Amino acid sequence: MIFGASGDLTHKKLMPALYALMLRRLLPVRFAIVGVARTAGDDDSWRAEMQQAVRDHARDEFRQDVWDELAGSMRYVSTDFADDGGEDRLEEMIARCEKEKDLGGNRVYYLAVPPAAFPTIVEALGKRTDQQGWTRLIVEKPFGHDLDSARELTALLRAHFDESEIFRIDHYLGKETVQNMLALRFANGIFEPIWNRQFVDHVQITVAESIGIEGRAGYYESAGAIRDIFQNHLLQLLALTAMEPPIDFTSESVRNEKVKVLRALHTPGPKSVVRGQYGRGFVEGEEVSAYREEKGVAADSTTETYVAAKLYVDNWRWADTPFYVRMGKRLARRETTIAIQFKRAPHPPFEEAAGDGLRPNVLLVHVQPDEGVSLAIGAKVPGQGMQIRTVHMDFLYGGAFRTGMPEAYERLVLDVMLGEATLFTRADEIEEQWLLVDAMVSAWQRDRPGFPNYAAGSWGPPSADDLLHRDGRSWRRH
Amino acid sequence: MRTSVMTHLAWVPEAWLERAREALSGMDERHPSRTVILVPEPHAGDGRLDASVSLVSFQVPDADRRMVSEVIELRLVGPRAQAPASVVEPLLISDLPVFLRWRGEPPWGAAELEQLVQVADRLIVDSTEWEDDLTHAYERLSELFERAAVSDIAWARTSRWRSLLAGLWPEIASVSNVRVHGTLPQTLLIGGWLRSRLERDDIRVEHVPADRLEGIDLDGSPAPFPPGDLPLPSDVLSDELDRFARDPVYEAAVRAT
Repeated sequence: MIFGASGDLTHKKLMPALYALMLRRLLPVRFAIVGVARTAGDDDSWRAEMQQAVRDHARDEFRQDVWDELAGSMRYVSTDFADDGGEDRLEEMIARCEKEKDLGGNRVYYLAVPPAAFPTIVEALGKRTDQQGWTRLIVEKPFGHDLDSARELTALLRAHFDESEIFRIDHYLGKETVQNMLALRFANGIFEPIWNRQFVDHVQITVAESIGIEGRAGYYESAGAIRDIFQNHLLQLLALTAMEPPIDFTSESVRNEKVKVLRALHTPGPKSVVRGQYGRGFVEGEEVSAYREEKGVAADSTTETYVAAKLYVDNWRWADTPFYVRMGKRLARRETTIAIQFKRAPHPPFEEAAGDGLRPNVLLVHVQPDEGVSLAIGAKVPGQGMQIRTVHMDFLYGGAFRTGMPEAYERLVLDVMLGEATLFTRADEIEEQWLLVDAMVSAWQRDRPGFPNYAAGSWGPPSADDLLHRDGRSWRRH
Repeated sequence: MRTSVMTHLAWVPEAWLERAREALSGMDERHPSRTVILVPEPHAGDGRLDASVSLVSFQVPDADRRMVSEVIELRLVGPRAQAPASVVEPLLISDLPVFLRWRGEPPWGAAELEQLVQVADRLIVDSTEWEDDLTHAYERLSELFERAAVSDIAWARTSRWRSLLAGLWPEIASVSNVRVHGTLPQTLLIGGWLRSRLERDDIRVEHVPADRLEGIDLDGSPAPFPPGDLPLPSDVLSDELDRFARDPVYEAAVRAT
C-alpha cells in the first residue's frame, strides 16, 4: 500500500523502482499494489498516470509487457481518512486483492506523505492489524523536526507497530557507494589497520547540490540545510565512515555500531559551525536568484542553505581527528564525497622541489556522481632526476562492473519485502542525531546571521574556509 | 583505456580556435586530459550554451593499447559568457590539477579572467599573442602571481637562448647592451631576465623585429647560435603542463621588464 500515491515521491522514485524490480523478476510471484491518495481517481486513471511516471523516470527502457503485468496488480483508493468510510473502502479493496491473488496476508505500508498526515494514517492502520502474515511500515523523512517531535513520532508509531516492523528510509543508505564503504573497510585487510587517528589526518565529507530549493520553500524554510541534509544523510555517512567493525552484517549489529558513533559525537562549539545562505550568483553560466528571492521564502529569512562544521568523534579510534563536513544548496557542482586524508610521509628523503605538485594521500569515495573510489599516491615522473607527482588509482563502478547501478529505492523497497533492516535507521539513531542538531541549532537562536553570505554557484561562505585554515588545512577544491 | 592527469581549460576566442585545435593535437599523448575549450561569444545574442563532446583515441607509443581522452568544446553565447567558472566547475575532474590556457591578451581585471584564475592551479599565456602596451600588460600579469602559478610560452621559447647566455658566465656579468633579433616579448623578457639574474638595472635592451628568436648580440658582437631544433608548439605547451609550482625566475624577469 502506498499512501501518497499521487505525490512526487511515488512518481519519481517508488513507481520507477517497482517497475525496475518487476523487470528483473524481483517482486514476489503474487502481489498487489494499492495506491492511496486524496486525489480523486480510479484504477485506470492511476495506472495511466503511473505509466507516464515510469516512462519519464525509470532507468530502464519501457517495456509494455512488463508494464501490463505490473499494472494488472495495481489498484487505487481515493480517501483522506477523514471519515471511517475511507478506511472501510481501503479494507475492502485489500480483502478483495488478497482473495483474488491468494495473497498470504503480508503487508507493506509505505507512508509517502507529509508528516502532518502520519497520525491519522498510522492510527487507522493500527486499528486493523488483525490480519495474518507480517506487517511492515515504511516511513519517509523528516523524522520530526527536533528531539521532542521525533520522540512523539516514535511513540505514535510504536503505539501500533513494533520497532522491528518500522523501516525509516534514508535513501542515502540505499546507494551502492555508501554500502561500498562497508565493503571497502571490512572486506579488505589493508585499510582497517590505518583507519584511525594514528594514520588519518582528517576526514572531509561533502554533500553539495547545485540546485536550489526547487519550489519546496514551505518545507525548506522550516527545515534548512541542517534538518534537510545534516541530521540524516550526512550523519549517516559519517557514522558509516567512523564506525567500529560490526560482528556480523545483521541489522542490529550494524546499527549498534552506528549509534555508538553518533553517541560519541562531540557537540561542536559555535566557532566550529558555519552556516550560510546563498545570494544571487551564477550556475552553469546562468544568473540565478538569491534564496530570499525564491518564491515562498521570507524576504528576511534566516534559514540556512549551507552548513559546515568541524566534528570530533570522541572515542579511542578517532580522538583529536577532525571530521570536516559541509553541505549546501546552489554550490558549484553536484557532488557527494567522503575524503579520508592521511598524514604526510614522516620524512620524504627527496629535495623539496621534487615534491612540487605532491599532495598527501587521500582515499576518496565518490558517492555521486562518477561513483567509485580513488586513491591519490605520489609517483615518480618518468625521466631524469627525481620529480614526484600525485597520481590516482581509480576504481569506477562504470568500468569494473557490467551491471547497471540500482536506484537506492529499488534496493530499499526490496529489503523491506525481505525483512532486511540493516540499511534503515533505528529510533535510537534518530534520537542521537536530533540531540546533536538541537544543540547546534539552539546556539543559533542567540544571534542574527549576516545573510546572504555566499554567492550561488560558489563553494560556500568564506568563513567555512577559515574554519579549516585555522587548523592549517583547506577544503578539497574540486 | 580512458585516463586523465589533469583538466585542461582553454579560453579561446573564435579567432584563435584553429590554432588552439592544432596545438592540442599531439599533446594528448603526453598529457591525457579532459580538455574544456571555452569559446566566448558575448555579443551573439540570447544566452545559450552550445556543446560538443568528442573522444580522442590514440595509440600508446611502443605499446599494444590505445588511450582515450575527452575534448569538450563549449560556446558561451550572450550572457552565458559572463560567468564561465560556473560552467566549468561541474566539468573539472575531482582532485586533479586544473591548467588554464588563455589565448590572446587576458582582459585584465575582468570577471571572466578573475573567476577562471580562481578555479585554475596554473595559468598559461603567450605574451606573443598580445598587442597592446606590453609593459603595462606584464605589470598586470604580475598581479596574478600570488594567486596562480603563471607560465608564458613566449618565455618558454627563450629557454634555449637563456641556457646559452648562462653558459657565457662570467663574461656576461659585465654586458651593458643587448640586441635581440626576435619578437618584442622575447626581447623584453630576456632583458628582464638578465637584469634580475645579474641584479643590475643598467642593462640596455634593443629590439630588432623578427618572427622568432634569431639571434642575440652582446655589446655589438653576436652570441653563438644555440644547438638543437626549434620545439613544436605542442611540445612547448606540453612542457608547461609538466610544471606545477611557481617559477620564481620567470616572475622576477617579468617584474624587471
